[in-house]
Formats: sequence, C-alpha cells, structure tokens
Amino acid sequence: MIDSLKEYQNLNFEQGRSLWQDAWYRLNKNKLAMLGLYVIIFFVVVSILTPWLAPYGYETQNLALGASAPSAQHWLGTDIHGRDLMTRLMYGGRISLMVGFAATAVSLVIGILWGTIAGYIGGLTDTIMMRIVDILYALPFMIFIILLMVVFGRSLLLLFLAIGLIEWLTMARIVRTQVLTLRKQEFVSAAVVTGLSHWQIIRRHIIPNVLGPVIVYITLTIPSVMLLEAFLSFLGLGIQPPQSSWGVLISGGVETMEEYPWLLVFPGLALSLTLFALNFLGDGLRDALDPRATRD
Amino acid sequence: MSLLTVNHLSIDFTTRDGTVSAVSDVSFTVDKGETLGIVGESGSGKSVSCYSLLGLIPMPPGHIKNGTAIFDGIDLLQANEKTMRQIRGKRISMIFQDPMTSLNPYMRVGQQIIEPLLQHSNMSKTAAKEKAIALLEEVGISDAANRFQQYPHEFSGGMRQRVVIAMALITEPELLIADEPTTALDVTIQAQILELIHELQQRRNIAVIFISHDLDVIKRMADRTIVMEKGHIVEQGNTQAIFDAPTQAYTQKLIASIPNSAKPEAYRFTGDQDSHFLTLNNISIAYGNKKNLFKAVDNVSLTVKQGEILGLVGESGCGKTSLSHSIVRLVDIQQGEICLQQDALEKLSIAELKGKALKATRKDIQMIFQDPYASLNPRMTVFNTLAEPLRLHGLASNAEDIKNKVLTLMQDVGLEARWANKYPHEFSGGQRQRIAIARALAVEPKLIIADEPVSALDVTIQAQILSLLLKLCQERQLTMIFISHDLAVVRYIADRTAVMNQGKIVEINDTESLYQNPSDPYTKSLLAARV
Repeated sequence: MIDSLKEYQNLNFEQGRSLWQDAWYRLNKNKLAMLGLYVIIFFVVVSILTPWLAPYGYETQNLALGASAPSAQHWLGTDIHGRDLMTRLMYGGRISLMVGFAATAVSLVIGILWGTIAGYIGGLTDTIMMRIVDILYALPFMIFIILLMVVFGRSLLLLFLAIGLIEWLTMARIVRTQVLTLRKQEFVSAAVVTGLSHWQIIRRHIIPNVLGPVIVYITLTIPSVMLLEAFLSFLGLGIQPPQSSWGVLISGGVETMEEYPWLLVFPGLALSLTLFALNFLGDGLRDALDPRATRD
Repeated sequence: MSLLTVNHLSIDFTTRDGTVSAVSDVSFTVDKGETLGIVGESGSGKSVSCYSLLGLIPMPPGHIKNGTAIFDGIDLLQANEKTMRQIRGKRISMIFQDPMTSLNPYMRVGQQIIEPLLQHSNMSKTAAKEKAIALLEEVGISDAANRFQQYPHEFSGGMRQRVVIAMALITEPELLIADEPTTALDVTIQAQILELIHELQQRRNIAVIFISHDLDVIKRMADRTIVMEKGHIVEQGNTQAIFDAPTQAYTQKLIASIPNSAKPEAYRFTGDQDSHFLTLNNISIAYGNKKNLFKAVDNVSLTVKQGEILGLVGESGCGKTSLSHSIVRLVDIQQGEICLQQDALEKLSIAELKGKALKATRKDIQMIFQDPYASLNPRMTVFNTLAEPLRLHGLASNAEDIKNKVLTLMQDVGLEARWANKYPHEFSGGQRQRIAIARALAVEPKLIIADEPVSALDVTIQAQILSLLLKLCQERQLTMIFISHDLAVVRYIADRTAVMNQGKIVEINDTESLYQNPSDPYTKSLLAARV
C-alpha cells in the first residue's frame, strides 16, 4: 500500500493535492473500512427508501397471526401484535440513524467550535468557556431533557437537539486539549508569520490535526446516542408507539426474549452491525487522515 | 588487559518496513582510566551500541544479533538480569543528555543521589548522606548540605547536570558512559561540565565512554576516538591523529563540515553602510503579571542594514528569541518602536500595524524556525505548504502559475520536484529545513529572521544549510537576522554580530572584530568557553 501511494504521489507530483484526496485514496485501500462504509451506505439508502420498499405498513396489525417466527410472508417474523418485523426494523432504522447522525452532528459542530475557540484563544476566555462546560456536565441531563420536552412539547427535532446538547461537552474537552498543544507548535507560529488570519489558521492548520481523535470519538458517540434514544423512549420521552426505533424494538424484544427470540435477535443484529461498521470506518478514517500512519 | 572489550557487536531493529541494522560489526576496547570518544551523526548507532551494554535497548524491536561485550570477565550481552543489576549503576554508570528529564521531579535531589548507594551496598542512610554531600561539593555545588533537601526544579540546567554526575559517581563505578552530557547546555556551562568530567576522571581514574555528535567536544575530551556512520565504525584511533590526519573520506567530510572560519569573502556585505533598513528603538518585552514581572528584553536598540546578515548570539534565556518574535509580531512589545524602511522616505512602524497593513507587511518579513520537525504542518504536503503563502498574498495568477512557482522554489532550495506531494514525515531533518526555508522565501520577503535554523541538524547537514542560506541571501539580496547559540556558526555566516545577555545587547560589532577583540566581559567569557 505504501509503495503504491508513493507511486501515486510521484505520478501526479505537478499538481497539489489536498489531504482529503490523499485520505480518500488511502481509505479506498483499507478493505475493512470500505466494507464499513458500504454497510452504512446500505442502511442509509434503505432507510431513505423505506416508504417504498417496506412490504407492509408499520402499524398494520394482523392480530390473528400474533407473534410468528420468520416465514416466507414475513421474512423476519412478526411481533405480538402481528406487525411485520422487517417493516418495523426498516422504519425504526430511519429514526435510529437519523437520531444517531443528527445528534452527533449537532454535538460535533458545537463541540469542535467551542473546544477550538477555548483552546486557541486560551487565557481567561478558555477558563470561562471550560467552566461552563463543567457546570453543564454537573447538570443532571435527564431533568434538562424532561424540562425541554415539557416546555416545548415532544418532537423529533427537539430530541436531536437535546441529545446533541449533552454530547458536545466531551467533544469540546477532547478538542480543546488537542488545540492547546497544537497552538504552541511552530507550524502555527509559521502560519501567523505567513499572514494567515486566525480563522484560516484554525481551518487549515488546527482542525485537520484534531480530526483523528475526533473521528474516533464520533464512532463512539453515534451508538451511544442511539442507545440514549432507546432509553428516553423507554421513559416515554422519545419515540412513541406505534412508531419505533431500533432501541425501542430491542427493549421490547428483551421482554419477550424467551418466547420470541427473533424479536430481539434481528433488531440487535441491525444495531451491532451498524456499530461494527462505524468502528471500522472510524479507524480507517483516522488512519487515512494521518499521513504518518503507515498501517494498512 | 582492557576494562571493556566489545567484539563484533551487531544490533537489528525490526520495524514496519522490515529489519534495519542499527549497529553492525562494531568492535572496540576501553582501558582503565582512559576516555573513549564515540562521534557520529544522528542514526549512526553511537548511542544504541552503548545502551546495549547496559541492557537498555527495548527488545523487541531491538535484537542483538551477534557479538560479545566482556567487562571484567562477564559478557554483558549474555548476563542475566540479576548479574546486570549488580553491574548497572554500580560498576558502570551513565549520564544522560537532558538533565531536565533524567531527574525525578517529585523526589528530593539528595534522595535520588543516595538511591543507587542504598541499592548496591549496606551503607546506612546517614553515612550515605555524608558521602553524597561530600560528592556534591566535589562536583561544584556549594552549600551542599542544604541543597541536598531541594527538588530538581530548584536547580538550573547546569547544576542539575552536576547532580546527575554526582549520582553516577557515588557508587564509584569503573566505567562511566556519558551520552551527549552537554548537548542541552549553554556554552559557558558546557565548558564547566566538560572540565568537571575531565577532572573527576583524572582524580578517580575511571574509564569514560563519551558519546557526542559534537566533534569539538570529542576532540577536547577523548584520548581515543571512534567515528561511526550508519552503524559501522568508519575510523578509530588516537584522537589527535584522527583530527590532524583523518584517513577516511567520511571523517574528512565531518571535520571539514565544522564551521571554523570567518565568513567567505564572496558572500560578505557590500551594501550601504549607513542603511537603516530595520531599526529597533528602546524595545522592552516583559512577561508575567505586575507582581512577577520578567523582563525578557530590556531597552534594546539595534539597526540592521539592508542586505547584511546580522548574527544574534546569546545563551538560553537571554531574550534573543523574544526579540526576534517581536519583529514578526509573534509577541508584543511593551515599549519602544520597530521601524522597517519602505523606501527613501517612508518608514513603517511594525508594532502598530493592524489588519490589512499587518498582513501586507508579513509578506516582507519571514521567519525560519529552529525545529524542522515542529515547524511544518504534518498534514500538509510540501506542495500545499508552499502554495499556501502564494495563494494568500495573491502572488500567483492561476493554478499553472502556482505550480510553476512551487516547483521553482523547491528547485532553489535543493528539493526534487517529484517530492511535491510528500508529507513532512517522509523527509529527513535537513530536507525539512529546506522546505521551511522555501516557505519563508515563497512570498519574496525582504527580511528573514532565522531562529537557530541549524541547531537541530547534524554537522554535515548544517554545513549544507548554511551555504544554502548564504547563496540565497546573495541571490535574492535578502537581509537576515541569524539567531544562534553557536558562536562558530554565527562567525561563519554573519557580517555583524550582536551579543545578548540578560535581555540587553552587550556588544555589537563587525563579526571578525568582535571575535578577535571582544570588549565586553560577557563576550570574552563566551568566546573563552568555546571548546
């Protein structure tokens, strides 16, 4: 892989190429990461197309059927109300992935901005900004979410926001620590001397260098957000039946695990597969974005 | 009968790119009471071969492929851990390079010194303490009884290295391995420490293996010298003989690379003697708050002529870096004025610039940093590193133009065009410094501040970079402020030299006059401390 990359670099040496182009090239070489990427893309595409692909309606009940094992009509079986599990899994995936990605995106944007600004400016600004983070950390987040739900009413958008607003704290801390060390590096001084504005320095020199740990943390955040959503739904604060998410399906499946194991196995499989895919992709991305990583 | 006999020592390291031979077929002896110098550039295997004697190389990835090292009848390479513990720290001691990291910051200095003694003998704590205090006094630490109770951070760098030496000597070893013991120290301190090691060695009649990259230090310290390159011994013999008449090409090249002459005639300053290109008037820079104010630069005035190279010499903490950073506006001055001459009439007050005017001036003044490993963004290719300033200042009209300019720059500093898409970590230290130089040149500056640009480089690479800088300055009619702690380097490159001490410029003169007739006592002591 290294040799072929060198060849590739030599081949096009007359054109400048960005880190992103190189990263994409390297990612392409990492089979496990690409597999992860394909799995994620597959899930996302299926989720988007669910209304057209799903064989049944998500609330169509067939009470006569009850909970039935996988069969030719119902590939993944039906739940106790006789609803098609595959359909519910597909609709549930829509919510779970949406919550996972959207809430993580919210936390990512806030966390990176907050952490970068605090670390880059330093001094009093840093102290104040990080104390705010500490205070929010100490706040019992359930009360915070319940309060939000009570005041603004229950909505999916609010759920994204609420979860995102909690998850950014750790992100901000990770980013700030990285930025603190980077800011003292000579290449940042060199960028100042070159005449780059602070914003340009942050964008071109600081952020690409904090991406490694951030990406790893993202791949941990997405699953934890999905589980958080299941927990909130369980408390009656998240998704309400007949709507479903993977988390809701799993917690439902746990209750009837001994009689109808497929109700737990398939949603569990879907979630685990996503988590694995995310982890492989995350590791791959971290290596791809680090020119020094020579591992395949 | 030699104290230590090393025969056919070969050490491999397993890396991701396969097996690398760090040391191959190295043989040498050390006699009682003599000093053996091992000199070589980074990666020559000089440290690895000595570390292996004490079992200090990590295995894996290290692997001793072959060889014996007989110390008093024991093969150090085969001995078990128990035997090694009896030898390490008792009969063979070591002094490491960095006194800042080789002492435990949470342990009182005295405790650290007596630790090996308590470990290796049945001596009581009181007796050990008495011995340690006597030894501290012997290595030149006054008021030793009180300082025994202090923590390492209460000692200066040179004092800490004295403590480290005392720690190494307390068990009365027969062999002392000193790995670059003065590399992290200032010149005047270096001279004292070298003198101390020499004295102690004479008095106690111990054998010393002295490892250094610095030929001058080896020349002064060693009775016999080994020259290493890429894991092999290139030449060994009597130090005097090697330096007077080196037989091998590599040794000759090494010795020729030591800057020991005045600035080459062809590159000397011929411009206007009355030029006031850059004027610093009564500059003061201070750090800290009101209670604890530290004046890094104290009321300094200086004039730089257009087209000259001004050397700025001083020991660590003298304020030379703060001063240079204030010119490129990396630190703010509290007092004074920095003026850059634009043309016959116009002058620019750098310290007051803001926004667009500041950005425009940044184009005129560029900087080369000390550490080529830290001064390049690890996630940017050479091409992008060099293209960034061109794009930022609108110096190229289109992509084609950028490409041509980047490739020309690379050629000018001696980098091959096909390396354009490589990342910094794929280059050696010298090549990286070339990239950093190219980046500084990209915006076609008038003034370059070079802050210790060759200090992190090996001596042969240092010679190459120095001649590159001289050539570029002449071709492009650059003015340069060259900052260094190394007097020989400054003498070779600078037209005029300013000496800084404790935030003040104590002397400034034409380089040769200053070196031959220093007037200030501090300059004299600096020059006298040269090895």
